[in-house]
Amino acid sequence: MLHLLQVDLKKLFNYRTFWIICGLYFLTLGMATASGMEFLKWLASTFKDFGSKLNIERIPLYHFPDVWQNLAWGSGLLKMMLGIMVIISITNEYQYRTIRQNIIDGMSREQFILSKLLTNLVLSLASMVLVFVVALITGFIYSPEISFPYMFAGVEFCASYFLEVFAFLSFALMLGILIQRSGLSIVILFSSYLIELIIKKNIDDYVPGLIPFFPLESIMNLVPLPFARYAFQEIQDYVSFGSVAIALGWTFLFNYFGYLRLKKSDI
Amino acid sequence: METVLSINQLTKTFGRITAVNKLDLEVKKGQVFGFLGPNGSGKTTTLGMLMGVVNPTSGSFSWFGQTVTNETRKKIGAVLEHPIFYPYLSGQKNLELTAMIKGAPADHIARVLDVVELTSRKDDAYKTYSLGMKQRLAIASALLNDPIVLILDEPTNGLDPMGIAEIRNIIKKIAADGKTIILASHLLDEVQKVCSHFAVLRRGVLMHSGAVDEVGKGEETVEVAAYHDDLGFVLQEFAGTLSLKRDSASMVVKLKEGYNSQDVNRFLYEKGIVVSHLVTQKKSLEKQFLEILAEADSIKK
Ligand SMILES: Nc1ncnc2c1ncn2[C@@H]1O[C@H](COP(=O)(O)OP(=O)(O)OP(=O)(O)O)[C@@H](O)[C@H]1O
Ligand SMILES: [Mg+2]
Repeated sequence: MLHLLQVDLKKLFNYRTFWIICGLYFLTLGMATASGMEFLKWLASTFKDFGSKLNIERIPLYHFPDVWQNLAWGSGLLKMMLGIMVIISITNEYQYRTIRQNIIDGMSREQFILSKLLTNLVLSLASMVLVFVVALITGFIYSPEISFPYMFAGVEFCASYFLEVFAFLSFALMLGILIQRSGLSIVILFSSYLIELIIKKNIDDYVPGLIPFFPLESIMNLVPLPFARYAFQEIQDYVSFGSVAIALGWTFLFNYFGYLRLKKSDI
Repeated sequence: METVLSINQLTKTFGRITAVNKLDLEVKKGQVFGFLGPNGSGKTTTLGMLMGVVNPTSGSFSWFGQTVTNETRKKIGAVLEHPIFYPYLSGQKNLELTAMIKGAPADHIARVLDVVELTSRKDDAYKTYSLGMKQRLAIASALLNDPIVLILDEPTNGLDPMGIAEIRNIIKKIAADGKTIILASHLLDEVQKVCSHFAVLRRGVLMHSGAVDEVGKGEETVEVAAYHDDLGFVLQEFAGTLSLKRDSASMVVKLKEGYNSQDVNRFLYEKGIVVSHLVTQKKSLEKQFLEILAEADSIKK
């Protein structure tokens, strides 16, 4: 297992594009999540009304335990960058035909896809760890009081954020295997949100119960939008078991479809 | 002798095209096996199936008498058609990756780079290599894990004459170690120089399979010249003459089976003719190859 991961990482660590995209991603992730308060302050100073209507110091963006869900949700917006990297990594193998040589050299098709999957796992884990660390630090800085067990209420959003990233990268990997061309795969990765949205809008009136079962919807539901609570609205401030089950189901299917395709095709 | 590869009724269809049609073939240990056939006859497709990248439509094959897994392939060094590497990695890094996949010791890398004379360019990105250098790197990567079997599909494509001779020497050296080599090529004189056995494929069908030594056995053709006006007339009377042709300064005699150039010489001497030129035309693999294909065509018609 570890060996397969090493093989795939060796391909990536010597690839400049990987460092550019991943460097940008983790930098943005760290900076954006840590600078939310500064952003609010900037908003307040730029737009006069903003600060007067709403006392920004009173928004507990980084207070324990809100910080977990807030940062997990915000970080989820950036996963598209990793998705693009995953697509480039797999479609390169088709474009250069190196997947063919990997198999000739003695990898099985299962091992090949597993090596890509393990990289996805590492990228998702790294994202989660970064978000966890940023949340912990900013929580300590901004929280007015810190009480031990209470501050970790909601830390499970880190885990569901991890699943959110991993499920999404599984989707990207599947698209890459099915389409095999980077440009088209990336376009479809973007437009799949739109396509799903159109379908959801159209069936909303008839079978609304189906909506949570859509793949991208299920990934989004892992970390529900938290900010409405600052406008005194009811939000879902826990990870729902149903969302996790559906997202896990899709994650399995994405990887299985990719595997099936790879198994059947001549390369 | 030990069977290395055994192919049984192997078939591959691409839509309407049958690229490989019920192929039966055996390769024994230590053979240098030439795999011949015109363009599109199914050589690369066959090798692709043997190396697990093309799924057979039907039929089977076994390496070393065992069912095939990916572990089997690690013992085989193969280059199919074009060299394939990560363009952004250096030659060295590409080989490191191959070594990881094959489970080959890392210290083999320097050695194989030396064999193909790429050591001085090993740290340059693969995409900056010339075609011949890419071919050499591919051969280096095939040699990486001390393979028991080497599969080379047009390995000298794009190499300079020196390169071709070097590859020929590499192949001979490896064959001398008792390793088995399967070589698909269009360079028939190369095949004749290095191969012990060969098979001919045509539109996916096996037309011929046998030893290279046997080429040229059977009826012989002899070129004769003498300072004698009636040479042609006299040769006509020779009991071993199958057919006769005038070729500028000499006569070309095709002999019946069981007769050879000595018999011709003796016969003419007895007739009082002293020959000035007597050459047995050795039948080349190329000639045999073309005959096999022509024969197949005439049967078809
Ligand atoms: N992926 C594919 N899809 C469709 N047809 C294919 C595919 N690969 C090979 N073929 C067809 O199968 C036949 C055999 O091709 P193959 O590449 O095995 O020939 P070859 O003997 O290696 O020829 P060459 O000497 O030109 O390398 C050809 O008719 C080819 O068009
Ligand atoms: Mg070919």
